[in-house]
Amino acid sequence: MKKGYVSSLPLPEFRLWKKAVEGRPLFSFDFDLTARCNNNCRHCYINLPAGDAAAKGRELSLAEIARIASEAASLGAFWCLLSGGEPLLREDFADVYILLKKKGLLVSVFSNAALIGPEHVRLFKAYPPRDVEVSVYGVTRETYEKVTRISGSFAAFLKGLDLLLGSGVKVRLKAMALRSNVHEFPAIAAFCRARTKDYFRFDPFLHLRYDGDEARNAEIRAERLAPEDIVRLERADPDRFRELRKKCGIRPGAGLGWNAPVPLFTCGAGLESFSLGYDGQFRLCSSLAHPDCVYDLQKGGLREAWRTLVPRVRGLASERPDFLKTCPSCPVIGLCQWCPALAYLESGKMDVPVEFFCGTARARAEALGSGQGLDKRE
Amino acid sequence: MTDRTGLDRIFKPSEEIVAREIEGELIIVPLTAGIGDIEDELFTFNASGRAIWKGLDGRKPLKAIIGELAAQFEGDPEEIEEDVLGLVEELVKRRIVVEVV
Repeated sequence: MKKGYVSSLPLPEFRLWKKAVEGRPLFSFDFDLTARCNNNCRHCYINLPAGDAAAKGRELSLAEIARIASEAASLGAFWCLLSGGEPLLREDFADVYILLKKKGLLVSVFSNAALIGPEHVRLFKAYPPRDVEVSVYGVTRETYEKVTRISGSFAAFLKGLDLLLGSGVKVRLKAMALRSNVHEFPAIAAFCRARTKDYFRFDPFLHLRYDGDEARNAEIRAERLAPEDIVRLERADPDRFRELRKKCGIRPGAGLGWNAPVPLFTCGAGLESFSLGYDGQFRLCSSLAHPDCVYDLQKGGLREAWRTLVPRVRGLASERPDFLKTCPSCPVIGLCQWCPALAYLESGKMDVPVEFFCGTARARAEALGSGQGLDKRE
Repeated sequence: MTDRTGLDRIFKPSEEIVAREIEGELIIVPLTAGIGDIEDELFTFNASGRAIWKGLDGRKPLKAIIGELAAQFEGDPEEIEEDVLGLVEELVKRRIVVEVV
């Protein structure tokens, strides 16, 4: 541009982006627009039926969303991830989406694509999202619908995905790895990579439900892959396995001493982002549902939550001797998915180990050739 | 350039962008498609560009902006005029500002 008065840069090279990544307070938030979903996936931690009137009644109104988004933008938020449930189930999805864009937010959307229609394509072409990330549960009708438990969902997914891909909207694909689809996981990965050149990710770590529904939690546990199967998938993905290798030897909490209180939160929860539930619950991250760690934004302001709740929660520490002898001093904690939020979903306590994660961390360590000296917790 | 825009013309931020100030930095976030050349493209200004941007408020004609900047920065008015017109031309081309008619 003329004489350098104005400059443009790709987002990752943008100075504010760099500052944010380096730890500027409040950069982004994710927002579960609804807990309702048109699918009924076996592994889902949040889904409620599409027609669940009670769940719909608890959803934030457009006016409440506008207020919270304004506060978020005034605190510096730059990026919003719209998720769910299935966010397109909201009849006012387009209004919410444009509202967030007009606050100057970059917006990403997570969707199963089954509800994508020409009106969504028009919306996304006119007001481009940062990206639309679509979940792929299978690449055959049999497998896909075994996961979603909705007849016709595979055809709807393919139709919606084709609409998106044909529109030029930036699409990313991801997959959850579970027992019901693991037999065709190589085909799922190939399907995704063939359609999104630069990006594919998968997640084998099914976590339990926010609402604690025991019957649904039993279904989720039944869908979890065995640790060795998780590691087998990871080994088949060279980029992912390379990243895993970098984590070897990282021991957050090491050296703190077994008798000293150990900070529970060594992750990034609440450092530069937060999570907004469909019912207005503020959380440091989407999984942190402990009642002492949430704040109702239908009753109070975001600024208050950000300034008071976040430091209080991040200051939580454990002094329980049983815990101090496990995760904080575990030699493979760097390979472990354990965190206090997921521990709470598993057990109702934030400072307990989770065997599912322990087993996977051990299997990862063995696969990486660093299995010596592991803390076997049988 | 002068003939095409005219110094009596008035410009304002377009409705296709959102201008935000974060940590003291002015950022132009595209709202609609086609503003940037690449995806995820944002815009920011240097100090002089920012001073010009502040004048593009939908009320002041370009000649008033040039006069203010010349007084504020004690610069050569002809040079400032050239810079203002050059920047406005670029911003119009990118649909970041529109002329008030």
